[in-house]
Amino acid sequence: MRSPGRPGRLLLLLMMLGLCGGTIILSVSGVLTPVEDIAGVPLNGVAGVLNRLSLSINAAIDDLNNLGQLRARIADLEEQLARRQVESIQLREAASDYERLIGLLNYTSALENQDFLTADVIAVEQTGIVRAIVINRGTRDGVAIGMPVTTDLGLVGRIIDVSANAAQVQLINDENSAVSSRLQTTRAHGSIIGQASGVLRLTMVDLDEEIRQGDLVITSGLGSNFPADILVGQVTSVRQFEFELFQEAEVRSLIDFETLEVVLVITGFEPIDLRLFDQEGN
Amino acid sequence: MGRYLSIPILGLSAALTASIVPHAIDFLIAVLSTITPVLSNTRGQLNLVMLFVICWSVHAELTDCLIWALVGGITLDLLSILPIGTTSIALIVIAFTFNGIARQLFHVRLMFLIGATPIATLLLTAYTLMALAIAGNTYDILAVTRLILIPTILLNLLAVIPVYAVVRLLQRRLEGGLQIAPQSLIPGTPSRADE
Repeated sequence: MRSPGRPGRLLLLLMMLGLCGGTIILSVSGVLTPVEDIAGVPLNGVAGVLNRLSLSINAAIDDLNNLGQLRARIADLEEQLARRQVESIQLREAASDYERLIGLLNYTSALENQDFLTADVIAVEQTGIVRAIVINRGTRDGVAIGMPVTTDLGLVGRIIDVSANAAQVQLINDENSAVSSRLQTTRAHGSIIGQASGVLRLTMVDLDEEIRQGDLVITSGLGSNFPADILVGQVTSVRQFEFELFQEAEVRSLIDFETLEVVLVITGFEPIDLRLFDQEGN
Repeated sequence: MGRYLSIPILGLSAALTASIVPHAIDFLIAVLSTITPVLSNTRGQLNLVMLFVICWSVHAELTDCLIWALVGGITLDLLSILPIGTTSIALIVIAFTFNGIARQLFHVRLMFLIGATPIATLLLTAYTLMALAIAGNTYDILAVTRLILIPTILLNLLAVIPVYAVVRLLQRRLEGGLQIAPQSLIPGTPSRADE
């Protein structure tokens, strides 16, 4: 026998599900964007404050744990600094020669023309499945979908969603991220893809190319999704089987994605959608 | 009053889940990884919003549960790449089911929550994977299960009792003692919202 309250419960459920369905349609079509922007302001603000607080606490705990190691490290770094200062003088000389020669050739590097925008990391992606972060820059600051995001230690990812005052950055270690890359030493091309474990994998490298442990991996610029010559990471191990068409390597990014605080958005880079040419060809 | 309380509580929970909680979990995993390497590279996520919604749905009226689920889903979606309302659907179905089952139970609601939390986590993760797949992002299901789902279930199980305690405290203060319980203990009795 059906209880008297049952139809009311089901009706309520269907109404709520219908409301959600309508909200999804409005959200996907972009009608809700202004509302999402307004609703996101307090939420992003609170998440940003809490994130900074958490990072500060983490840093303090790390500092306390590593006090002894830090002292030894400082001494080591001071020694290295002295050596690097000598090298720096030599490099400055080389750079001035390089700039002079570039001027003669009327050539400008792609990286020299990039504009950077500093952004704070205010949150991480909620689902736990997607590897993404939220930054406190949005369309108001000129951020657009597809823009690459970096730090001084290398490539972080690219913008996949943007609101007025915040943007979602898909990290390069997300499973759906692929970055055209090459080895700095041999110039061999490959593709860096993320894995569920968070480790980067360099794939699609020809079998006859040599990959060595410790090689640096940089962006190749192929596909025009990222500018060329941005550091991606360092090869930690190589996997090569004769029966496979390509060889693979595990790559470790120099960036600790869990404790990212500040990133740089390359606003001057305009990604090119090469699918347009495929459609024309078809 | 309870339904209005959902906005600050779930908003704060979503903000915590996106900020402090991942760092705390990383720290916990780093400490535990020194004992067992099985935990290294795992990416469990404590889903505070889901826990608040299911804990609230065990004792509250259906309308309140569904509003909590709707608000919870929206706060989660505001900080994720999914369109607004996507997660609300899963939370509404979970809250509706759990509220219906909890109405038939007497004195075993905490045990029910402990059993229901892994199921809710599994459903929400499966639903999120499906939503991401529709949006064009596919993920390795086995890796997600091993590295994300199982640790997330464990973390949610650890947190469900404290969250339940907070929710019961709030509900008792709002409703004035045990006013909700006797009504909801009679199987098949319509609640105020259903009338």
